[in-house]
Amino acid sequence: MLTQQILDGLSKFYPETILSVTILVIVFVELFFKKKTRVSGWIAMAGLAAAMLFTFLQVNIPAQTIFFQMVAVDPFSYFFKVLLILSGFLIVLFTFLSDEIRSSEFKTQEYYALLIALTLGGFLMASSVNLLMMYLALELSSLSSYVLAGYFKKSNRSSEAALKYVIYGGVSSGLMLFGISLIYGICGSLDMFAISAYLSANPVNLITLLIAIFLMLAGFGYKISAVPFHFWTPDVYEGSPMPVTALLSVSSKAAGFAMLIRFFLVAFQNAGHPTITTEGLHQYITLPGLHWPEVIAVIAVATMTLGNVVAIWQDNLKRLLAYSSIAQAGYMLLAFVVVSPQGISAMLTYLAVYLFMNLGAFFAAILISNKYKTENIEEMKGIGYRSPLLCVSMAVFMLSLSGIPMTAGFIGKFYIFSALINNGYIWLAIIGLMNSVVSLYYYIKILKNMFLIRPQGDTGAVSFGAGYSVLLLALAIPTIVLGIFFGPLTKFAEYSVQIFGLK
Amino acid sequence: MNYYEIIFYVFAVLTVVSAGVVVFSRNIIYSAFALLFTFTGVAGIYVLLNADFIAITQLLIYVGGIMILLIFGVMLTTNVTNVEITTQTLKALPATIVVAIVSALLVSTMVSTKWAVKDPISVESTTINQIGELLLTKYLLPFEIASIVLLIAMMGAAFLARKN
Repeated sequence: MLTQQILDGLSKFYPETILSVTILVIVFVELFFKKKTRVSGWIAMAGLAAAMLFTFLQVNIPAQTIFFQMVAVDPFSYFFKVLLILSGFLIVLFTFLSDEIRSSEFKTQEYYALLIALTLGGFLMASSVNLLMMYLALELSSLSSYVLAGYFKKSNRSSEAALKYVIYGGVSSGLMLFGISLIYGICGSLDMFAISAYLSANPVNLITLLIAIFLMLAGFGYKISAVPFHFWTPDVYEGSPMPVTALLSVSSKAAGFAMLIRFFLVAFQNAGHPTITTEGLHQYITLPGLHWPEVIAVIAVATMTLGNVVAIWQDNLKRLLAYSSIAQAGYMLLAFVVVSPQGISAMLTYLAVYLFMNLGAFFAAILISNKYKTENIEEMKGIGYRSPLLCVSMAVFMLSLSGIPMTAGFIGKFYIFSALINNGYIWLAIIGLMNSVVSLYYYIKILKNMFLIRPQGDTGAVSFGAGYSVLLLALAIPTIVLGIFFGPLTKFAEYSVQIFGLK
Repeated sequence: MNYYEIIFYVFAVLTVVSAGVVVFSRNIIYSAFALLFTFTGVAGIYVLLNADFIAITQLLIYVGGIMILLIFGVMLTTNVTNVEITTQTLKALPATIVVAIVSALLVSTMVSTKWAVKDPISVESTTINQIGELLLTKYLLPFEIASIVLLIAMMGAAFLARKN
């Protein structure tokens, strides 16, 4: 009986198993190479591809929990697995194409193993339905990102980034652990479904519960870099190798959001089952007197406002993108305030769109620093005339991040704001719109420098190899296409939030 | 007061007082040694809670392993860098206010909350059997993932520490 259950769980755990094996294979194979080699990169890609294949095989599996209610295999985790693998895949390619990494003297064996470990951590964060499992998954992804942030050991900035990241990460995961212990003390269980059942059946001290929620938010907030847990973001993004920055801004953020959504909806909202209200809206029931959506609303507004306002003053492209990614997390949190399937699916849509536009922006930044050896926006004057393809793609990513119509970013914002307005949060939608207008200023500032000022000095054309152009287009084209044909994506997102892993 | 309570208070006082020394001592070596007693006190409390396995691991790993390494680390590095490592208090007033508010909040929740208390069960003489069984059944996945987490931590530490 027990064996049967474990074997059954294993048969639905192939993607994660493959990723774990990939880590070990990379570590082992690299022992045979004395010099730098790309072999481990190819192994990482093969592992990701195999994991992707086995994830696709799970598409029609009925939602269920495996390994004695530790992790869920459901449409929600499926969505995030696809997102994380896609992002992992692109980051491996970025690493291949980044001069920064190529010229460093370090071997890359740990690099790819850590990258896969971060993806594995993300997988588990998205599917954990047990607080113990959730914490372990968070630690797995955090530990690998600390080392990745400090990958250039000889660079002071990189080491500083890693140290800051470790200290902030350690404090927030400690706070989160304290929150988990309070919840365990109240409910007597670490299982999210059991917590939900206990809370709906027994009266509890809401103040204690709220303190626990605040403490838990420290862990989630640090992962998605929401105010006031965002202090590490600019320094770490600036100091880390560029592909790692891209990875942190997409994979670990997406996994953090997945964990946040699942925890709140399953533990506090009737096990993630929406009910229909008198106005005919699908909504999750909140415990009377527990005001967590209001807390999230305050954090969301603070996050996007701070991100956008500070980004205006930045001259360093990486720092600018760091603040922009803080602001983007704020928009996504806005949709979470609407505790309804509509809001959650808007979040998921935005995350998928954000993957393409943000990774695209980072890839363009990698190419600029490869060829022009600069991260300063003021030094990018006129490069639009020297490398048109690169800068037009950059323009697409920037316009999409600011949410101009005909780009994917517009669709993402449109769904978020319409979810807010449908549920009567008109003020929040207005604040969000005003923030988008502010963000337009700094995104356009980059384009102004690229296109509206003639290059001085060297004006020769700077072109890239075919591989670079193909990858750039592979990111730019979806950013435009998803702005026009967004039906399948939004359907996928709506389907993904239907069930949260309950049999 | 019965024997049980007397033993509990002995360990509790040991833990709290030595934890105070860890925080307030100006000399980092004193802090490190005081931490030794904190861990021992916590191990004693585990024994009183019938958590024999955790008490043993606390003694073996924290007191016996980590603490000794920490003390060696502190003693060796102070001589290498020639910088006297001391601790000092920064911004005492705001810190005091924040700490006072937080601890008032925590104490009030501790007192006012109705915690989930398990019904008393008959305790077997040792918990090691049950822990072993649970680790390979109900908690199989966290157990395996913990091993990957440790592997990654070890790899990362080795990478950051070695000379290239």
